[in-house]
Amino acid sequence: MIRAQNITLVRNNKKILEDVGFDVKKGEFVAIIGPNGAGKTTLVKIVIGLLKPTDGTIKINGVEPEEFIKKRNGVIGYLPQKAIVNWSMPLKVLDVVLIEKLSPFSFFRKYSKEDVERAEYWLEVFGIKNRVNAYIRDLSGGEQQRVSLARCMFNEPEILVLDEPNTAVDAVYNVKIYETLRKLCDNRDITVIMVTHDIGAVTMYVDKVMCLNIKLHCHSSPSAINYSEMLKRVYGNNINIVIHGEKCNNCIFGVRDDRNTH
Amino acid sequence: MGKSVITAFLVLEMTEILINATLIGILIAIPLSFLSYFVVMRKMTFAGVGIAHASFGGIALGFLLGCESFIFPLVFCVVSSLFIGFLYKKGGFSEDSVIDVVFVFSMAFGIFILSLSNGYSGNVLGLLFGDILSVNKDYIVPVIGIFLLSMFFISYFFSHLNLITYNEDLARINGVRVDLLYYFFWIVLSVLIVFSIRLIGIVLVNAFLVLPTLVGLNVSKNFKGVIGVGILSSIISVAGGVILSYYVNTPTGATIVLLFFAFWILSFIFKI
Repeated sequence: MIRAQNITLVRNNKKILEDVGFDVKKGEFVAIIGPNGAGKTTLVKIVIGLLKPTDGTIKINGVEPEEFIKKRNGVIGYLPQKAIVNWSMPLKVLDVVLIEKLSPFSFFRKYSKEDVERAEYWLEVFGIKNRVNAYIRDLSGGEQQRVSLARCMFNEPEILVLDEPNTAVDAVYNVKIYETLRKLCDNRDITVIMVTHDIGAVTMYVDKVMCLNIKLHCHSSPSAINYSEMLKRVYGNNINIVIHGEKCNNCIFGVRDDRNTH
Repeated sequence: MGKSVITAFLVLEMTEILINATLIGILIAIPLSFLSYFVVMRKMTFAGVGIAHASFGGIALGFLLGCESFIFPLVFCVVSSLFIGFLYKKGGFSEDSVIDVVFVFSMAFGIFILSLSNGYSGNVLGLLFGDILSVNKDYIVPVIGIFLLSMFFISYFFSHLNLITYNEDLARINGVRVDLLYYFFWIVLSVLIVFSIRLIGIVLVNAFLVLPTLVGLNVSKNFKGVIGVGILSSIISVAGGVILSYYVNTPTGATIVLLFFAFWILSFIFKI
């Protein structure tokens, strides 16, 4: 479904990404992890066609992502980082879920019944339908993220690209979001690519983990990764990986930063 | 008999001036209220100040060349706004800093040019603070045209502009030509500001770009309500300001802005 080959991006003579290559199959749930400045957001922006790599190619179903943008066919649902979304706008939850419906003279029109019902359905899926008439600036950070997820799903895309969807989401809803995304992959064959700093619980839900720090250090199923070694390679030697219990099948519950203690 | 005819004629002429000024003010205030929503939401409220002051250079150049039409300030404003947009998009500068540079350059250029035009007797105060007598009926036809064009642009692309304001990346992946719309937005804004300068003045015109949405936000929580209240308060401020300035004998631009400010205070009290 998605094939990236030898992706390199250079900006101001600095390599942001170097020789990154991966395949993502239809219906797969992939998590991209890595430290700040590792190039995670840059990589997903290349995947959705917002950035062009200096070198290398990326194809979705054999077509370059820019073609999807030109066709406006809603194949890709995108959740940008929470910090770059304008949450101060006087919009209701419903307005946000329907914000990607672009039509001329929309200011003077009402939403159709079908659109409202579809928006409410996705709000229900992400457990936020009870706030449908609330204003987005009155929501908590976690609620805003769930509204964004419903917005991403409104056009029922084939690919979901999520840049830190669990920012400001509490632990309970974090798990609920992962469960919902897992179901979307299993039941609707939707491909999910998710950037996250959660290197703990996420491993229980995804098919593959991509460990990125400019270069791609691994791209395999969570159970096949040697976390101690891999995370030290990606995050550096100053962290102490805390792995709890053998039954957990390598899942990680904490990464302690030991930089201040050395 | 002769005196009363002259008086009646003067009253008729004044009434015509007041009606023209009100009509022109309203035709400009409505699209500016729409744009005000995007300007405030994108936190680029300094834009109006920059563009309006950019017109000063054009007006001064017009005086020097003996042409007082709106062409010179219009070209100056549009070029300045595109320059601001280009430097922001491609140069990596903040919008405010680029606006500031254009603002001071244009004012300095205008003063420099005016000093070269010996015997200049133009109404500088009228330029800076508005002059109702300079708004004649010849102005109405181009203003109606501008009103229709700008309203078409705003209403046709409203959902696109709304999405860009919410998140530019999201707009891009939905196929919106963000940069093109951005430049068009600046051009429409420039044209509206140039045509409001005669009534409101360079210094005060930014009120029409900031206060509608600020009043709207105090009264309504929904974007349609915010824009609607902004339009209503703009219309009342223009009409009320023009009539009040006639009876109290005060400068029209200042009176309109003071009335608008009073609206904002009232809306703030309503909010709390």
